[in-house]
Amino acid sequence: MTVKVEVIEGGVPHNTILAAGLVASLVLIYLTYANVMSGTQLFSFFGGLGAVAALVWGSHAIKHLCSYGIGTGVPSAGMMAFGSGVIAMLFATKYGVAAPIVAVVLAAVIGAILGFLSNNVLNMRIPVMIQSLIEMAIIGALVLMGFAAMMTGSFEFSPLTSGSISILGLSLPSYQASFIGGSLIAVAFMLGGIAIQHPFNACLGPNWTQDRMLMLAAECGFLSMIAVSVMSMALINIVAAVVSLIVSLVGWYYTYVKYIELSKRDAAGWLDSKPIPDVEGQ
Amino acid sequence: MESIAFGIGITALAGALATVAGAAENTESDIGSQGDPNSQVQLAPQMGFLHRIFNKAIAGEPPAYGLWICLGAGIAWAFMAMQINPVLALVLGSALAVFIQGVYATTAYLGRTASLAKFGQPVFVDVLKSMTTVTMAHAFVAIFTTVTMCHLINAALGHPFPLPLLGLVWGIALGAAGSATGNPFYGKERQYQSQKFGAGVPISASGNIVRYAEAGERNSLDNGWFSAKLGGPASGLCFGLIVFLEIWRTVLFEHMGAGWGAIIVGVIIILIFTVIDRYIEVWARKNYGPYAKPTEEGS
Repeated sequence: MTVKVEVIEGGVPHNTILAAGLVASLVLIYLTYANVMSGTQLFSFFGGLGAVAALVWGSHAIKHLCSYGIGTGVPSAGMMAFGSGVIAMLFATKYGVAAPIVAVVLAAVIGAILGFLSNNVLNMRIPVMIQSLIEMAIIGALVLMGFAAMMTGSFEFSPLTSGSISILGLSLPSYQASFIGGSLIAVAFMLGGIAIQHPFNACLGPNWTQDRMLMLAAECGFLSMIAVSVMSMALINIVAAVVSLIVSLVGWYYTYVKYIELSKRDAAGWLDSKPIPDVEGQ
Repeated sequence: MESIAFGIGITALAGALATVAGAAENTESDIGSQGDPNSQVQLAPQMGFLHRIFNKAIAGEPPAYGLWICLGAGIAWAFMAMQINPVLALVLGSALAVFIQGVYATTAYLGRTASLAKFGQPVFVDVLKSMTTVTMAHAFVAIFTTVTMCHLINAALGHPFPLPLLGLVWGIALGAAGSATGNPFYGKERQYQSQKFGAGVPISASGNIVRYAEAGERNSLDNGWFSAKLGGPASGLCFGLIVFLEIWRTVLFEHMGAGWGAIIVGVIIILIFTVIDRYIEVWARKNYGPYAKPTEEGS
């Protein structure tokens, strides 16, 4: 992979996306608390929407970091985000209703330590490294928490670690049939880890455009939501899971069609069964 | 004794499934130009060589397959938790994972190609339609066999990890096996058939990949056909051996020395393979090295 130094020209500034992503993601994750207020699980899908908001912000954070020529680091940046985010997210779930806020604060601390280590100990000396790693850790924690809330209907520790299995109509409590005990957290980790790096990894190049990449980020988020909603059928009631599935399918279809339109706009040509065109100088 | 015979049977079955998975995985990634051949496919238009080769870069193969297998396993786990028949759950889980893989493949190709507009590389819609479905078919074979293998390890051999975690571990292993074993066959050999054998890729030839076929223009299905011949089976053999030897040593030796038996046998296996690898490397350098002086008897 060659070194790519790309300057962000025009478009929405990074700090605006950062602020919007952080606020939207926190608010949407908190909206799943309506489940507790109303005694249903119908509002679980807000967790997934919160994850989508964080992923849109995350793809731009990766773009921001990778404009310093970290060519092959795009997929690993996603793994880094979730590796540091999962610690903060798991620890924060013990704090009940304050969990999303605690996750943000704790992830910021972990990100700052990692950023300090890579810049000052490993001597990478990348100007935005510390800020970017703080952002990535927060995004990782928020995406995991959003998907956890969507799958289980809650972002607190005990609903994440206990489930129930029904044998011959009897419902028995089981730690194995839960978000953490069944390792569904590994699936959420990988869904987020690929979704966060894919938009920039797929759109990098001289004709990178911001709106196309952000649309792809939303598409990846909704696509992950589809998978999460299917898995949530095992953990929350079927009506709530179907509501989640419908929301994610609608969101995915809209963003996918939009993304194809934007690609058509930016591409040099849109050819069907045509030979390779002639280019000057060949 | 009976339990060991049962364990060995499961080991053989898991090894066979892994072999099929490895072959399918490598063919899938080569059709999509994923992994290390990707850099040249991505570079070619920038050097003025427009092509009709599918370019779907979804991370490297290990993370990508980590997701597909983990996802297939996670959905299968969820369906099994809902008391659905395991065979049906495995098929449904793999099918949904393949749907996600297909969508990622289309967005990767569109994004990469649209960002190369400056160099005149157009999006070929027919490439998108015909290649994505073929990669999805190969990915289904790879995902279904690997998730089934993980289910066997979990349900028949009693591995303590839940299915999605086994899927993550073996998915990354599958991607790594395909990436390391099969890809050079496509990336170093097929893309540079016009260069002298063993000459490496000089800077001046960078991006000058083979773009025309026996008849017409080469596309990625030709590359899939090519790598299915040797690269795919080699990857299959690699992943099959990894899985087979890993389970074999656990089933046979884990009761010796409170579990240390399996670890010692694992270290011995690694040492044996190190010796074999070194021997093959030296032998290949001696016989095929391009810089050796010609001898009297002729080369």
